[in-house]
Amino acid sequence: MHTYILRRLVLMVPTLFGITLIVFAVMAAAPGGISAQSLIQGQNLEPGAKKAMEDYYNRLYGLDQPVPVQYLRWLNNISPAGFTFDANNEINGFSLSKGSDLGTSFYYNRPVLDLVAERLPITLLLNVLSLPIIYVIAITIGVRAATERGKRFDTTSGVVLLGFWSVPTMLTGVLMIAFLASDQYWRWFPTAGINERAALEMPFMPHWSATSDVLMLVSLSIAGAVLMVALSRKGGKAVRAVPFGALGAVLGVLMAGDVARAGVSLVHVLLGAGVGGLFVLIGRADYELPRTAAMGLVGFGVGVGLAAALARGAFVRGFLLDSLWHLVLPVICLSYTSFAFLSKLTRAAVLENLLADYARTARAKGVSESDVLWRHVFRNSLLPLITASATLLPGLLAGSVIVETIFSIEGMGQLAVEAVKLRDRELVLSVTLVSGLLTLIGYLIADLCYAMADPRVSYD
Amino acid sequence: MTDGQALGLRDKEIAPSASMAPARSYAAQVLRDAASIWGARLGLIWIVMLAFVAVFAPLLANSHPLLLSEHGDISSPMLAYLTPADVTLLVSFCIGLLVMLVPLRARTRLIAIMVTLATVGGLSLVYVTPSPLAVYSDYRIKQQTGAYDWVVRASVPYSPKDYLRDYGDAGLEAPLEAARRTHWMGTEENGADVLSRMIYASRIALGIGLVATGIAMFIGIILGGLMGYFSGRVDMIGMRLVEIFEAVPTLFLLLTLVAFFGRSLYLMMVIIGITGWPGYARYVRAEFLKLRQQEFVQAAIAFGLPLRSILFRHMLPNGVGPILVNASFGVASAILAEAVLSFLGLGLVDDPSWGQMLNQAVQSSTFNWWMALFPGGAIFFTVFAYNLIGEALRDAIDPHLKKDQPET
Repeated sequence: MHTYILRRLVLMVPTLFGITLIVFAVMAAAPGGISAQSLIQGQNLEPGAKKAMEDYYNRLYGLDQPVPVQYLRWLNNISPAGFTFDANNEINGFSLSKGSDLGTSFYYNRPVLDLVAERLPITLLLNVLSLPIIYVIAITIGVRAATERGKRFDTTSGVVLLGFWSVPTMLTGVLMIAFLASDQYWRWFPTAGINERAALEMPFMPHWSATSDVLMLVSLSIAGAVLMVALSRKGGKAVRAVPFGALGAVLGVLMAGDVARAGVSLVHVLLGAGVGGLFVLIGRADYELPRTAAMGLVGFGVGVGLAAALARGAFVRGFLLDSLWHLVLPVICLSYTSFAFLSKLTRAAVLENLLADYARTARAKGVSESDVLWRHVFRNSLLPLITASATLLPGLLAGSVIVETIFSIEGMGQLAVEAVKLRDRELVLSVTLVSGLLTLIGYLIADLCYAMADPRVSYD
Repeated sequence: MTDGQALGLRDKEIAPSASMAPARSYAAQVLRDAASIWGARLGLIWIVMLAFVAVFAPLLANSHPLLLSEHGDISSPMLAYLTPADVTLLVSFCIGLLVMLVPLRARTRLIAIMVTLATVGGLSLVYVTPSPLAVYSDYRIKQQTGAYDWVVRASVPYSPKDYLRDYGDAGLEAPLEAARRTHWMGTEENGADVLSRMIYASRIALGIGLVATGIAMFIGIILGGLMGYFSGRVDMIGMRLVEIFEAVPTLFLLLTLVAFFGRSLYLMMVIIGITGWPGYARYVRAEFLKLRQQEFVQAAIAFGLPLRSILFRHMLPNGVGPILVNASFGVASAILAEAVLSFLGLGLVDDPSWGQMLNQAVQSSTFNWWMALFPGGAIFFTVFAYNLIGEALRDAIDPHLKKDQPET
């Protein structure tokens, strides 16, 4: 196993080499390219100072040298062992411990490593939060679609998810900010960033000044959730749909009250009917697992809302809740496009295994259908999903470019856009290097998980 | 030389027997199967409609009147102000329609359309020179003062860059809210009609989608074909190249290329094309690896046919299924890629595109739903249409699905 990991890590080097070579070639071949003149243009400098600056940049990055030499110098800079240079830019020795240096950003005038270290965790946080959501939703839909192949659920979910996949992230992001975060409509969520400035000084966990508030919050939210879960599990179709739909209608009217203040208006009627109708649809759904989850979540939410409305004492949000509150919209934007791909994959894998001989044997032994599905078939269908996680990662990284731009989140994606717009050579190269490395590590982790999940696969 | 010609001749004789009993080719069969699925039909209808709008844009939305009579002189400012691109599209469309009506072989048709596009494009670039200065408001003022006997206007009487200067400070207007004018989709901040901009932007979306996918397919088929046919060392080197291109997030490579090479429409097509080829190469390679073991390919090799003929006349038509599926999804992702680039402010500068209009909606200080919803919706419907077609094609080439159909 260790030799395998080692070999894969070594094989990454030529690929990374190729990636940076492509990006470097693009930048060098571009009209204008990157030269000391282009770096200081725009700054109003005396001729003498200008010359000094040019010399400084030339010495630092070797910008007056031919392009291949520049690339080799950059490689030498980032590799942990390599040649060292003296004050006149002549090679004066070879060192095994000179340490790798990603260089300094032209624009920010800060070490690139610092910038990346600052922003990478934010992008990773977004992606790590999105992945489980994508998997849970895609698997619940995909499994059901496979067991009901060719029936209504299968075809509708296929088309609807394909539709989700086709909605451009920009549109969703823009509409979400406009309707759910701006002053014009509902101000439920913040418009930008991943933290409020004030939240940085708050304690990590939320705090209440009155103990009664906490008790009320806990009891009301649990009561709401339990009530709804019980309704979903025990009630018949109509018994579920009617109270749940009524709850939806009330919530819709309350929601309309936030926007249209005066009396009863068209907005009240439309929103009441719309949300009520949606809730009736959820309540009537046959698929128990997501229905119970959705109804339980609504019950929990109503409980929390009631407790917040009745609370007397002061409440400090705390860093954790503040972050979560900021992350809701970006994570939704990042995750919904991947549902289609992954649920299609789940469906195909489950379908193949449902028709397999071992599943028939299990049924013949008298194993119940749900046990066949979840204990036998589902476990065997997990393998392609593990492989898919590797291909999902580049897509998520690309998605975070858009999401971070829309929601003004200072992550790697935004850094990438800024870097190419500012033609910041060191930054562009490093961001490419880091994102390429992340993708390759994703592939490696997927392969290792594959070996863990499937005892037949061994890398020794 | 004569050898080659003789082989070429013989090659033609072999071709029908190689493609087996049904008269229709594999590609035609797959396309027919896919077209019987309703999702693909809806998608196709939307795209044909969009193509129609894109071709006839100057007739649909134009500040220049289509026809007018001034003191008895009948003239058409619309015709006088057609750009080379307009002329190329219109003429090629008409000739293309003719070619489609005349019974010809698919390949002859394709070549005919390509040749027309090239010649008309070249000729119109040289001979069509619209007067650069167009004062849109002149027509409106003259019409109001009664200088014209009669005027025929386009159904959307505004050009995409007609900022309605003669209406004073005509800035943002919600749909159908402007006082003396009708803007079905409102106006943007500078006063230009949103519907007119949408119509002209459809050209960019469709053009980029088709051309970029064509380029990606071309590179992918050739490289993937060579990799699959030769396998061994060529395959290994090729796959490393594919891996390298797939490990760079495509969007990031696109950003770098566009930011460093400038923002022309044609460059963007090429750039989106050359970042999209690895997927096609992968599929073509897999398909060719399977095909090269088969007897008809072995027979073609034994005949000593030239490599070009083996690869593209014998192997490609039999491995075209996955390529068609990918092309359809590829067009969708190329359109999305253009929209994303324009949205990030790295797209075209002066011509409106759907992504750029969406960007405009974000830049303004207040949220104006018509500026976001219409272009965003257009992107969605077009991408969805291509995805539906791709999905139908995938079902059409899936042998499992066909076998299972009687059961369900």
